[in-house]
Amino acid sequence: MILILLAASVLFLFFVAAIYNRLVRLRNRVQNAWSDIDVQLKRRHDLVPNLVEAVRGYMDHERGTLEEVTRARSQAMASGPDLSARIPAEMLLGGAIGNLFVRAENYPSLRAAQNFQLLQEQIASTENRIAYARQFYNESVRQYNTVQATFPQNLLAGAFGFTPATLFAASAGDRIVPQA
Amino acid sequence: MTSAPDAAKPDATSDARQLGPRDREAFYKAQSRNRRATWRMSALCFVAALIMGIPLTLVLTPLVYALTLATADVINYFSPLPPEFWTTVNSLGRLAYSVADYFLNHRGTLDLQTLGAGLVVMLAPGIVITFILWTGVLALFRRGGVGGTLASLNAREPNQGDLKELQLHDVVEEMAIAAGLPVPHVMLVDSSGANAAAFGTSPQDARLVVSRRLLDDLQRDELEALLAHLIGSIGNGDLRIAFTVTSVFETCGLLVTLINSPFGKQSRGTLWRILRYGLMRSSSAGAKSAEAETVAVLLTGCLDMGDGDIDRFVNNPKKSTWRNFLFLVFLPIIFSNMAMEVTLWFFFTLLLGPCMALLWRTRRYLADASAVALMRNPDALARALKRLSQAATDIPGGAWASHLFVVSPKGDSSLNASRSSGEGMQTAARAWVESAPSVAPSATSASAPDDFKALRMEMNATRLAAMSGDPQAIERLAAFARAMGAARGIQVPANMPIAADIAAACRGDKTAIARLQALGGESRQNEAKRGSTGLQAQSSLSFHPSLKRRLRRLERMGASYSPEAHGKKSKAAVIIMSVLGLIIGPLLLAAAGMMLVVIAMLVMLNIMIVAIWLVVIHGIFVLLGHAHA
Repeated sequence: MILILLAASVLFLFFVAAIYNRLVRLRNRVQNAWSDIDVQLKRRHDLVPNLVEAVRGYMDHERGTLEEVTRARSQAMASGPDLSARIPAEMLLGGAIGNLFVRAENYPSLRAAQNFQLLQEQIASTENRIAYARQFYNESVRQYNTVQATFPQNLLAGAFGFTPATLFAASAGDRIVPQA
Repeated sequence: MTSAPDAAKPDATSDARQLGPRDREAFYKAQSRNRRATWRMSALCFVAALIMGIPLTLVLTPLVYALTLATADVINYFSPLPPEFWTTVNSLGRLAYSVADYFLNHRGTLDLQTLGAGLVVMLAPGIVITFILWTGVLALFRRGGVGGTLASLNAREPNQGDLKELQLHDVVEEMAIAAGLPVPHVMLVDSSGANAAAFGTSPQDARLVVSRRLLDDLQRDELEALLAHLIGSIGNGDLRIAFTVTSVFETCGLLVTLINSPFGKQSRGTLWRILRYGLMRSSSAGAKSAEAETVAVLLTGCLDMGDGDIDRFVNNPKKSTWRNFLFLVFLPIIFSNMAMEVTLWFFFTLLLGPCMALLWRTRRYLADASAVALMRNPDALARALKRLSQAATDIPGGAWASHLFVVSPKGDSSLNASRSSGEGMQTAARAWVESAPSVAPSATSASAPDDFKALRMEMNATRLAAMSGDPQAIERLAAFARAMGAARGIQVPANMPIAADIAAACRGDKTAIARLQALGGESRQNEAKRGSTGLQAQSSLSFHPSLKRRLRRLERMGASYSPEAHGKKSKAAVIIMSVLGLIIGPLLLAAAGMMLVVIAMLVMLNIMIVAIWLVVIHGIFVLLGHAHA
């Protein structure tokens, strides 16, 4: 009788440990995914000066656009870890870069330049990477929230302090209308 | 569709895109469905392996026993073994005999314990040996991985200065970020085939090989979709599965090589190479994986029937008494080898091979669904697959691991058949007109590309002229073949059989026959060099699902619906196919049944021959022992 109780409690301990480990692994994935978004945003910050230098020679009359991009970049870099300031700043920077590329369409000599094409590809790729990093972050959050709320795990999640994570959603206030 | 409001009905016929496929499926659902299917297929493979294992063990075990007992006899002759040894052997033999008796002649009764012990005695050695070999193969190849030859032979790093290759590098990184995996190492191959594959043993050391032609043919989002498929499959653990599947084939190959080794240089050379590879301390991962793949090719090549050392030994026309003596002494090994070859061939091609192919197909579907999950865009993958169905997808050096590619390297014509042949005829017509000699007599080459009837008559006339030896006609046919090849992106070999040679050979011209034979031999050699033996050759079912089926699944996930992709089969064709199936099906089953009977007889014969051989050897040693004493 004692042996059966002992075996049952050992099994139960293993079970609890397995649930705890799974929750920890998923939560770490969520946190890593968040810092990956950060990495891609910083990469975009680093590419902007190259872009501005590359187009400066060709787009002499577009100084306003170039200044807008530079200003948005310094703002985004200075916005700090507070999300409510950071997300709008990053979206502003994305909009400014997009505006710059739209204006660059009017300069065929610029468009044909080899290093501009490479830079354009790099920045387009960075935008994609930011988007995919957000997608992966949301995927991880979805998985973590699901596991944490479904049956055997939800009994223990509260006891161990695993709270649901928030999705990265663009709320209405973040959608910034580009100034013409 | 049935619940569409009345107001939409007038639009239904005008815009087919609105309706789409009836059975939509979210990609999450598709993914979990395919994962469950994987479990089912793995169970099927396991059962198939067990079924195959039974005749194999029955062949292997008597051989093992015979060899051990023969060596025991030899040792006993020089220094007597303890009597407990012989009493154990005796009791084991009696046990096995009673169990076999019970099964075959239904004589006597058996209790469960005796039955269990008897089965263990009869089946255990083979199982244990195969298991040990398998673990050895797994450990050996875990470091090398698959696909080393391709990566080390003619692959290069992408050049970051070139726009398309920079795009490739970026796309791979984007997809790796979307999947949450470490970025796999990307290599480019400059070949005329358009294909891509993922190699490696785990997500941490995965490698992608992409052909340059793929970059030129596809747009950025289509390339992204293909790479999403590959990276998705890496993330799902397909590399591990491929590794396990390959290891099963390699284990059987190793078994055959071990049995063959006393007989010939080839198997001994293979064993030596395996040993060298195991002890290799090379720091370069590329060289190591290249060596791994060479060893693996050698091992799976052993599974081809009729080519092993023992067969060469048996078929050797040189007859000498020494050879006959060796034949008699090693008879059980030779016979076991033959039985094993037949068993392996039969079960691999018809049972285990197709099961693994089905398993692999499920993983391909899963990778497709994962690609949609990563990109959230099923259209791109559908477009990429459609484009690849028209291109040549063969990459030299990759035939051994052909199951790892995105699209089957042998090409897939399941879509072409249903497409209207107008396009094909147009291409052919243009190629024909192009191939016309520049100094054209006005009578023959005045036909426009649209006049198919005239063109066909022209082609027939040229063909007849070529068969009777007209050099101009021969030249035109060759140019036509080259033009068609260029249109489809295939490289036509320069020494294609000339029509005149074929005609002359038909009439019995010996030199023409010799030339054609040489060409045939050369092409077979080329194929062997490219390694057309491989996992695909061992299975009667293709490892790749047909593109049509993949596109259909993508359409269920939301790719845009295109009616021409679904060919309509006429009722007559369906009826004819089903009648043929009903006739041929039972015939095939009967043939398979006969093969099974043959294999059972071989196994029985093997046991008998081994037993007789053993008795003879034992008798000889007993006599010698008596004479000695």
